[in-house]
Amino acid sequence: MVTAHHGSAGRRTPRPAAGPSASTAAARTSGSRLHRPRAARFPPPARSYAQEPHVNHSATHHPGPAGYAHPAGTSAIEAHGLGKKYRRGWALREVSFRLPAGRVCGLVGPNGAGKSTLMGLVTHMVQPTTGALRVLGEAPGSQGAVRRTAFLSQEKPLFRRFTVADTLRLGHELNPRWDQGVAEGIVSAGQVPLTARIGTLSGGQRTRVAFALAFGKRPDLLILDEPMSDLDPLVRRELMETLTAEAAQHGTTVLVSSHMLAELQYICDYLLVVADGGLRLAGEVEELRAAHALLAAPDGGPPPHLAPHRVIESRGAVGARGEEGRTGVLVRLGGPVEYGGPAAPPTLEELLLGYLRSPDVPALIAPSARPGDIHDILTRDQPETVTA
Amino acid sequence: MTTPTLDLTPSAPAVPPREGRASRRFGPRLSGTAWLVWRQHRAAYWTLIGLTLVGVVAMVWLRGQMMDQLNALDASGRKSDGLPPDFEKYTNRLFTFGSFLGYVPVLLGVFLGAPLIAGDLESGTAKLVTSQSVSRLRWLTTKLAMTAGLIALCTAVLGAVFTWWWSPLRGRADTLEWTSSVFFDGTGPVPVAYALLTFSVGVAVGMVLRRTLVSMVVTLGVVGALSVVWDRFRLDLGNVMTATTRGGGDGGLPTLPDQAVQQGQGAYFLTSSGQKLDWMTCLAQQEHTKAHTACLESKDVIGRAVDYLPVSQMHTMQWLGAGLMLAVTAAVVVFVLTWGRGRLL
Repeated sequence: MVTAHHGSAGRRTPRPAAGPSASTAAARTSGSRLHRPRAARFPPPARSYAQEPHVNHSATHHPGPAGYAHPAGTSAIEAHGLGKKYRRGWALREVSFRLPAGRVCGLVGPNGAGKSTLMGLVTHMVQPTTGALRVLGEAPGSQGAVRRTAFLSQEKPLFRRFTVADTLRLGHELNPRWDQGVAEGIVSAGQVPLTARIGTLSGGQRTRVAFALAFGKRPDLLILDEPMSDLDPLVRRELMETLTAEAAQHGTTVLVSSHMLAELQYICDYLLVVADGGLRLAGEVEELRAAHALLAAPDGGPPPHLAPHRVIESRGAVGARGEEGRTGVLVRLGGPVEYGGPAAPPTLEELLLGYLRSPDVPALIAPSARPGDIHDILTRDQPETVTA
Repeated sequence: MTTPTLDLTPSAPAVPPREGRASRRFGPRLSGTAWLVWRQHRAAYWTLIGLTLVGVVAMVWLRGQMMDQLNALDASGRKSDGLPPDFEKYTNRLFTFGSFLGYVPVLLGVFLGAPLIAGDLESGTAKLVTSQSVSRLRWLTTKLAMTAGLIALCTAVLGAVFTWWWSPLRGRADTLEWTSSVFFDGTGPVPVAYALLTFSVGVAVGMVLRRTLVSMVVTLGVVGALSVVWDRFRLDLGNVMTATTRGGGDGGLPTLPDQAVQQGQGAYFLTSSGQKLDWMTCLAQQEHTKAHTACLESKDVIGRAVDYLPVSQMHTMQWLGAGLMLAVTAAVVVFVLTWGRGRLL
C-alpha cells in the first residue's frame, strides 16, 4: 500500500499548536458554523476495535427505528478494489476504503471524478466491474441493504403528476420504516402545499420533497448525490441543519457528495476525496488535517525545514494562483514539526486543493478508512487487548 | 419564510397518510406497489376501462338494431333464403367494427406496453422507486401483472361481446367467413392472447430502448411484423379437409359442409389414384367439350375435389394459436424480468 509509511502519522504527530482545529476553519466564517452535536462522540482515531469484540456481527445487527449509536468499528460501507469500467473507460479504479458507521462523510471531487459512479455502486444501480462492496455489512441490492439505505440521486426524480401527498404516500407504501411525521415536517417547513402537483413546484421545492422522501425512510445510510445544487443559500443552510440533526439523533451514516467543498465542510466529520477515478484522501476530517501542516514560508526568509515530511504542494504568495489563501508549503507530516517557524494545520479546502493539484502525491487513506477483514483486525488487536 | 426549527422527534408509528381520506378518488383500495402502479398509470387504466365500456355499449346497441331487423326477417318467413341484400348494412357494421377491434392489441402494445417501463427509465422515476425498500423485481412484477390483468379483462369482455354480436349471423351470411381475421382474431381466446403478446413485446422494447417515443415506434413496427406473420400462418393451424365427387371431370363440385371455408387454389381434378390436379389441367381444351373430356380421361380424372376448413376446427385452431401467443408472451416476460432484475438502471 502506497501510504504505509505515512499511515500512522495522524496518531504519532503531536497536535500542532493551533488547537481545536475545527473551530479555526469555522470561525473564519463566523455564524455559518452549524451545531455539531456529534463532535463529542468522535472515537479516538483508530484502535477502538479492540473494545468492541462484537463488531463482526454487523450483518446480523438490526438497530431499532429510534435513536441508536453504532458501535465504533462497524462499517457502513466497505469497498475492496472496487472498479467500474464503462465503454468510454474506467470511471472508478481500484478503490478500497471503509466508511465507519455513524459518520457524516463528504464525498468530494471534481466533476466526472467518479462520485456518482461510487454512489451508484453503493445503491446497486451500477454493477461493479471489479472488486467487492459491502453496504451495512450486506451485499448491495440485498433486502437488508436496500431497506436501510436511502438515496437521493442528482436528478432527484419524482413522479411529476403526483401531488406532494401522493409522493409521501409512495414513501409510506414502499418503506416499512416510514416516518410520516418527519417527512411532512420537512415538506411543511418549506411551505410546500401537500396538494400541489410535483410538476408545478419550483426546483428547490422539488428538492425538498425529495429530501422528505429520503428522510422519511428512516435510513441507516443516507446517500445524497449533489443534493444542494439547485437550492438558495437559506434553504441549503436549513436542509443541512436538518441533515445533521437527523444524523445525530438517529446515528445515521450520511454520504453526501459535492464538487464544492464549501457546501460540506461544516457538516462533515469524515471525508472521501476522489479524482480521476481514484481515491486521493480518506479519513476523519480531524485525522486528515492533523496529519498535515502548512509550513509558513516567510517572504525572503529561509525555506522551512522539510526533512521528514512529504511535500504536497508549495503554495505561492497570495494572488499567485489567482485565489485567496495562505501561503506556505503543505506537507504530510512524517514526524514532529521541528521547524521553529509558524506551522498550522491546513484548512480542509487547502488540503483538498493540494491533493487535487498534485496527482503524483500518493493517496492518504487514514487508518480508520482502511478496509480489512474484520477478523484480521480483531486478531491484530488481540495482544494489545490482553496487555491492556 | 422558512423556519429553521423542525420537529424531528419520531412520530407515532403507522401514521396514515392524510391523502388517503382527504382526496381519495374513485378507484380501488390498494397498498404497496399495487397502489403505486395504479396511481402512476391510473389515467391510462381509466382510459382503457372507459373505452372498453364505450365499445361494449356500442356493440350492444348495434346488435340490438341488427336483432330487430333479423327478427322481423324471421317473422316474415324468408329464413331459408339467406339474408336479403338490404341486410348488408348490418353485416357491414359488424365487419367494420370487428376490423377496428383488430387494432386494439396493436394500440395496447404501443400505448400501454412501450411506455410502461421506458417512461420510468426516461424520467428517472425507476431510480426513485428502486431506491425505496421494495425489490425491483417485485415492482416490475406488480407493474406487469396489473396492466396485463386489466388488458386481459378488457379484451376478454370486448371479445365476448363481439362474439355475442356475431353469433346470430353465423352461417347465415356468406360474406362473414369464420376464417377472416375479423372473426378468427376477434373472438374466443385469441384477442386476449394477442393483446398480451403485443403488450409484453412493447414492454420489452421499451425496457431495452429506454426511450418512450422511440420504443413506441419500434413496437409498432415489431407488432406489425408479428401480425403479418400471424396472418400468413394462422390458417395452417387447421387440418385441411378434402371433399370429393366421383362424377367425372366435368361433373359438379362437391358440396361443402355448413360454414366450411374453401382453401387452396380453386377446385381440383381428382384422379383414380387419389391425386389432385390443379384447375389449369386441360385448360387449353376448355372450349371443346369433347377434347376436354378426352384430355381429362387421358389423365385418369374421375371426379372433382375441394379443400376446405370446417367450422368445427375453429375452436381448436383458436386455442392452438392463443397457446402459441401466450408461450411467446411468457418467454418475453421472463426476458423482461431477468433483464430488469440485473440491468434495469
